[in-house]
Amino acid sequence: MNRSPQPRNDRPPRFAHWLLTRLHPENTLEEVEGDLAELYDYWHHRAGRTQAILRYALNVLSVLPPFVRRRKQVKQQYEQPSSIHPVMIRNYLKIAFRNLQRNKGYTLINVAGLALSMTCGILIFTLVSHHLSYDNFHANADRMYRIVTEMHRDNIGYNHSVPSPLGKHFRDDYTFAEKVARIISADDQLITLRNGADIKKIKEEEGVAFTEPEFFDMFNFPLLEGDKKTALLEPNTAIMTERMAKKYFGDENPIGKTFWLNNRIVFRVTGILKDLPDNTDRKNEIFVSYPTLKAYDSWLANDIDGWGGIRDGVECYVQLRPGVSVAQVEGVMPAYVKKYRPTSKNVHHYKLQPLADIHFNAQYGGVMEKKNLWVLAIIGLFLLGTACVNFINLATAQALKRAKEVGVRKVLGGLKGQLFWQFISETGLITIVGVIVALGMAVLMLPVVNAFFHSQMTLNLFQNSRFVLFIVALGVAITFFAGSYPGLILAGFKPVVALKGKLSQQHIGGFNTRRTLIIAQFAISQVLIIGMLVIMYQMRYAKQADLGFDRAAIVMVPMGDDSTHTKMNTLRNELLRIKGVEKVSICYAAPASTNSWGNFVKVDNEETNFRTSIKSADDQYLSTFGLELAAGKNLFPADSAREFLVNETFLRKLNIKSPEAALGKLISANGGTMVAPIVGVVKDFHDASFHQEISPIILTTNKSDYSDYAIKLNVAQAKTTLAAIEKAWLEQHPDQLFAYQFVDESIAKFYETEDRILQLVEFFSLIAIFIGCLGLYGLMSFMAAQKTKEIGIRKVLGSSVSQILWIFGKEFSRLIGLAFLIAAPIAWWAMTNWLQGFQFHVQMEAWIFLAAIGSTLLIAALTIAYQATRAASVNPVKSLRSE
Amino acid sequence: MRRTYLGEFEEIVLLMVAILDGEGYGVTVSQALEEHTGRIVTFGTVHNTLIRLEEKGFVSSYLGGATTERGGRRKRLFRVTALGSRALQEIQQLRQELWQMVPPNTLRLGGV
Repeated sequence: MNRSPQPRNDRPPRFAHWLLTRLHPENTLEEVEGDLAELYDYWHHRAGRTQAILRYALNVLSVLPPFVRRRKQVKQQYEQPSSIHPVMIRNYLKIAFRNLQRNKGYTLINVAGLALSMTCGILIFTLVSHHLSYDNFHANADRMYRIVTEMHRDNIGYNHSVPSPLGKHFRDDYTFAEKVARIISADDQLITLRNGADIKKIKEEEGVAFTEPEFFDMFNFPLLEGDKKTALLEPNTAIMTERMAKKYFGDENPIGKTFWLNNRIVFRVTGILKDLPDNTDRKNEIFVSYPTLKAYDSWLANDIDGWGGIRDGVECYVQLRPGVSVAQVEGVMPAYVKKYRPTSKNVHHYKLQPLADIHFNAQYGGVMEKKNLWVLAIIGLFLLGTACVNFINLATAQALKRAKEVGVRKVLGGLKGQLFWQFISETGLITIVGVIVALGMAVLMLPVVNAFFHSQMTLNLFQNSRFVLFIVALGVAITFFAGSYPGLILAGFKPVVALKGKLSQQHIGGFNTRRTLIIAQFAISQVLIIGMLVIMYQMRYAKQADLGFDRAAIVMVPMGDDSTHTKMNTLRNELLRIKGVEKVSICYAAPASTNSWGNFVKVDNEETNFRTSIKSADDQYLSTFGLELAAGKNLFPADSAREFLVNETFLRKLNIKSPEAALGKLISANGGTMVAPIVGVVKDFHDASFHQEISPIILTTNKSDYSDYAIKLNVAQAKTTLAAIEKAWLEQHPDQLFAYQFVDESIAKFYETEDRILQLVEFFSLIAIFIGCLGLYGLMSFMAAQKTKEIGIRKVLGSSVSQILWIFGKEFSRLIGLAFLIAAPIAWWAMTNWLQGFQFHVQMEAWIFLAAIGSTLLIAALTIAYQATRAASVNPVKSLRSE
Repeated sequence: MRRTYLGEFEEIVLLMVAILDGEGYGVTVSQALEEHTGRIVTFGTVHNTLIRLEEKGFVSSYLGGATTERGGRRKRLFRVTALGSRALQEIQQLRQELWQMVPPNTLRLGGV
């Protein structure tokens, strides 16, 4: 065709033409471009260049959006089977199943990865939604508040309790509240049932609560039997939950039955409550009438004296009238402080805490801070995200294997959309299996989680619609998130290239993204591993280090409430007679204990400026606990403070250089009621957890402070000995409850928080490592596929298997090394900070870091070993033949 | 009742396609429009009308006839369909009938 270029001046304006090609709808561009070019020539010919240019520009404008009408796509000429045609769906499922079956390992890893992260997701969702549902089932919950106290001194203290009379005065003086209810809980109480001489004793950890009847008008705790208006009006009446009634009275009708509180106050059951739901912060299940408070504690029940201070557990709930603001109520509170606490330096500010805040506000004893819930939710999301990314990695690494299938489908008329949906449905299949596995695992794991968080959550798929919705949403989201990228890649293969087998990993790409991901995953794993090792190391040190006294096989038995000096002596002699009891000491507390009695003592009539812990104990204390004397002699048996022993820290605080110099100095303690000379110096022992410094301690024989028997047992027959001890104890205190605790166990309890942190860290490092390994496995598959030819050529040229293995080894060591470089400083910083919380702690040592990187390298090596060996030992004939 | 309404401009363009008898495409239609009616409209108007007529089923189109003057680009050529010609005829017939009903003197030139 003769296409001599037009003279430059005769061509349409370039900008207008460019605009046309960019903006005009594609399917009519060719004809319109041609028409306009023709018209331009026509105008040029008829009216000259300027006119032509102007008209051209105007007419181009008339065919640009929004003026132009779009030609609709021509309908397909042949019938297109719908991609959701039953035949197609059957085909997709069949192909999917075949694929999953052929790649069993791949399927297993994918299902495991998704299931693990979804298990975490489900558990975290359950936990978070459980906590968010706390006490949200009361009518008018939005108008309900608890009155709490801010105590302004040098700093501000927060207390969820108020002086006991506040509620009564507030109800009588103001009309802000529709309802006011005081509830005073007393936990850890002894409840006894008496039937003639037969006594049944039960330690009630959650105790009882002295409750005003209005409490049950405000809170939605329905009464099954009895009248909530009258059940708690009279003194010595009580209501309890069904569960409690069953525990105490079995199948008998509990109404009218009686029980005793601390062997002092008798109660008659007048009502039965429906069991309290799990999601309430109210834990005690026995409610007793408020008028009985006078018999239990007259100070608390007194309307004037009660203002003197705050007792823990005194709560006051109010339900405000609609329209009454918090500020209004808080505004009238200072008047009470002025009126009833005029001289107190401890300035109370009474505030209203919304009911919805109670569960989450740690300042006022909230159980679970919202912040922590969000952290958990983010961890859950992160886990799900990584699992999806790993899935994408594995799927794209596998994509090449399916190139031929995609090619054939496309040649036979499969559309991109259909292929995409096919792969999505395959992912969906894996996800569904994953969801089912995850649900099973979540049900199995729930008791563990419940034990860990001290909660009673339940998983009920058929009753909780929100949970069902979550599961469905989770499945759909995971399917799309994990499936769409591999789906798009696969569906986008060009059929010719795919069928010729010319597709390479370059068509898939993202190598560096995978590397970054691996580094991130392993950095997190290593931080967690280092953290775990440091915590374990410190815990081992704290629990096994020499505390300066013996703690093995020593059991502490509290005295009975009704103990007297005679009973004490009788019991001690009885105990010493038991076979298997080696030593008995009567004392205030074990050497290391959470109980401690602090005092500011005078030495030789000079005031000291430090807190001294007074431990009262008899002359057997040193030998029972194996405490050593640095100077002087042991205490002489006595009934009151006749002599003092002090520890070395006490001397250091006083700047006394040698133990001998301290002997004979006069100590005056407890405001001058205990005055005696120092007769000996004991070597320092740890009197509290390793979080704290060793305190200055003085020991003396002050009988009235004794509260426990410290009994050293012969380990071999501990069980029978304990039974004998219980029998002897009960003979002295028939209506009391026998209890005991081993000293080493109570010391281990100092570190409960740390143990819980350790468990959490262990759990999350396991998961992080597992997920990291999945990512590693994905990258390894990807590399093995990518380097097939390279390995073939290397082998032909004489490489050994171990040299080829090193190709992979090098890559992965480098990634893990990089991850370590990131992880080490973070872990070092975090764990050094954590250790600062201990006065006595281990050092961050090099072996911890070496162990962390060594173990990750080992795990990584195990993960990739199989695939790497397989890739390295392939016969080069096979890998090179395809060309 | 006619199924599809045919606007005045659409009717003219449809007639132009009929006149051009298989040679009708964007350029010839707008040129014929200008030549026979004196109306100068933008190319976009013609383009849109042709698409709309095709959607209504009055014309059919095919791509063909590349020529050098348009840089080798193909034209979209339009032809009146059976439906289109019936619509034109119906319109003409209707007009005819209406003309018959006009009293003879009403429209006399210089009337009243």
